[in-house]
Amino acid sequence: MLKMENIAKVYRTDVVETHALKEFSLEVNEGDFVAVTGPSGSGKTTFLNIAGLLETYSAGRYFLDGNDVSGISDAARSRVRNEKIGFIFQGFNLIPDLSLFDNVDVPLRYRGFSSKERKQRIEQSLDTVGLSNRMRHLPAQLSGGQQQRVAIARALAGSPRFLLADEPTGNLDSKMANSVMTLLQEINQQGTTIVMVTHDPGLAAQAKRNIHVRDGQVSELHEVNTEHTRDVVNG
Amino acid sequence: MNASLELGPIFRTLLRNKMGALLIALQIAVTMTIVVNAIFIIDEREALMARVSGVDEADSFYVNSNGFASDFDNPNTIQEDLRQIRALPSVRNVTTINAIPISGGGWSMSLQTEAGEGKDDVATAVYMVDHHGLEALDVQLLAGQNFTEQELRYRDGSEEGWPQNIIITQALANDLFPDTAIDEVIGKTTYINNDEPMQIIGVIDALQAPWIGWEQLENTMLSPEYFAFNNSTTYFVRAQDGMRDQAMRAVEEYLAQRANERLVRGMESFENVRNESYGFHAAMIKILTIVMATLVLITGMGIVGLASFNVNKRKKQIGTRRALGATQWQIVRYFMLENFMITSIGVLTGAALSIGLNILLVNFFELNRISWYYIPIGMLCLWVLGQLAVLGPAKKAANIPPAMATRTV
Repeated sequence: MLKMENIAKVYRTDVVETHALKEFSLEVNEGDFVAVTGPSGSGKTTFLNIAGLLETYSAGRYFLDGNDVSGISDAARSRVRNEKIGFIFQGFNLIPDLSLFDNVDVPLRYRGFSSKERKQRIEQSLDTVGLSNRMRHLPAQLSGGQQQRVAIARALAGSPRFLLADEPTGNLDSKMANSVMTLLQEINQQGTTIVMVTHDPGLAAQAKRNIHVRDGQVSELHEVNTEHTRDVVNG
Repeated sequence: MNASLELGPIFRTLLRNKMGALLIALQIAVTMTIVVNAIFIIDEREALMARVSGVDEADSFYVNSNGFASDFDNPNTIQEDLRQIRALPSVRNVTTINAIPISGGGWSMSLQTEAGEGKDDVATAVYMVDHHGLEALDVQLLAGQNFTEQELRYRDGSEEGWPQNIIITQALANDLFPDTAIDEVIGKTTYINNDEPMQIIGVIDALQAPWIGWEQLENTMLSPEYFAFNNSTTYFVRAQDGMRDQAMRAVEEYLAQRANERLVRGMESFENVRNESYGFHAAMIKILTIVMATLVLITGMGIVGLASFNVNKRKKQIGTRRALGATQWQIVRYFMLENFMITSIGVLTGAALSIGLNILLVNFFELNRISWYYIPIGMLCLWVLGQLAVLGPAKKAANIPPAMATRTV
């Protein structure tokens, strides 16, 4: 599903060169639920950005759904993001001036679905997250947890192959966080691959696999349910 | 990918952020109102200025000779002056004349086709010229014949009556004898001062009256007379092609040599006459053009400002849209569509205001009613202005990276 081989990402300024990822290798299989943990500055967000084709990388190869996406054009990256990846952001990233319906509609319009199909998908995905009765509300009229549910509905509406979640519960209290986590687990059980970056070890423990990132490299892979832990030596 | 236009969401977003958009729409409406009416006024003025005087403007000039001595022999002076000036190599021809076309000052009379009081009449300007007048004024005889030297008379202000023969412009012929072929106008009689007959012996193409704002500007008649009111005579000189300045110097030199008992003054090129006559129009065109350019610039900057503000305000949103699959073109299109909607509100309001302003101008300043096509052309221009103005900020928006979506600041 997702395979990274020796990915490197270097940020350069006039005076500083920062190696955000170094020989970063990882494989995520279809149906996985992977939690990525690590301290601040370890490279988690850079990994997420590259996995989601939000950023390019300096070296290495990246296969998404079996296709090498290294060096594809900006427009092609947009298409892949739109068709194959669903994003859930820490700050929800809903558009404040649009209703829930129109928010969920945003990626579907870029996809080119017909109006009828978009409506059907929006209603279905909002129903999945339990907000179908509030379609005409604005994000500001909802609680944080509900807003994140809308963001999940937006991510799901296009039937992506996998979800990328960036601290999806970071802005939520524990009750709302658990509710969102339960929803993600349900989505995963229905076959969607999920990669989630989180600070919270408790939430990470609810994923199927844990990956610990340190200094831009995968330092540890942990199968949560099999108690099998192994160190991965990169280079 | 056949992505649908986001008209609905953009419209709903605009409804929730009305103030900035409405201010720009209002600015566009005001700009359109002023620009459309200004262009209409400019076009009308330019059309007025483009009217053909009939004279060889580039090569013509006039000069006045004013005899002040009590025994000044003006008839002989005129004959001698005309002979000498015609002999100058740089001069094509010269005539005495009582008034200068489009200069603002002249003589008008009424002509009628039937003798008697209370008959329908047609107003005309009167130019008193000699038998060289046609060439000096550069008018073409379409039918009939020129004056002969023998029929010319000397008019110093004390003479009564009018000459037997006249030449008229085609426009005057049409006014006097509608639906009559030019050839058939020759030989017809018109009456001046109600019952003084004059025969039309020639019809010329065009020669404008002295008054550029006069409705009968094209109605002109030529009368075969050497005009010298109180010993003051005006010579209208046509130089050889491209030799006006030499001719002016040569005529000035000649008149200076023969300046005894008279003042020679007021030499002026016809080009200058036109510039003075249409000076107000030209100044109006300049002022309106500056006003329009300033307004368009300010409106363009307003659109750029609003769009730039929106781009900066929505950086995170734009990054999110990119993350969700928007291509750079789709981001550009979003801002162009948004601008199109704001501009549309502006131009639709502007169309109504343009017509309203025109009605006011028609009622209070006697301007003409605006031609309908100025409105759609004005709308189109403002739409184009809006799209051009928003292009820069829209491209800037499209360059916001999708990774902006995951940044916390």
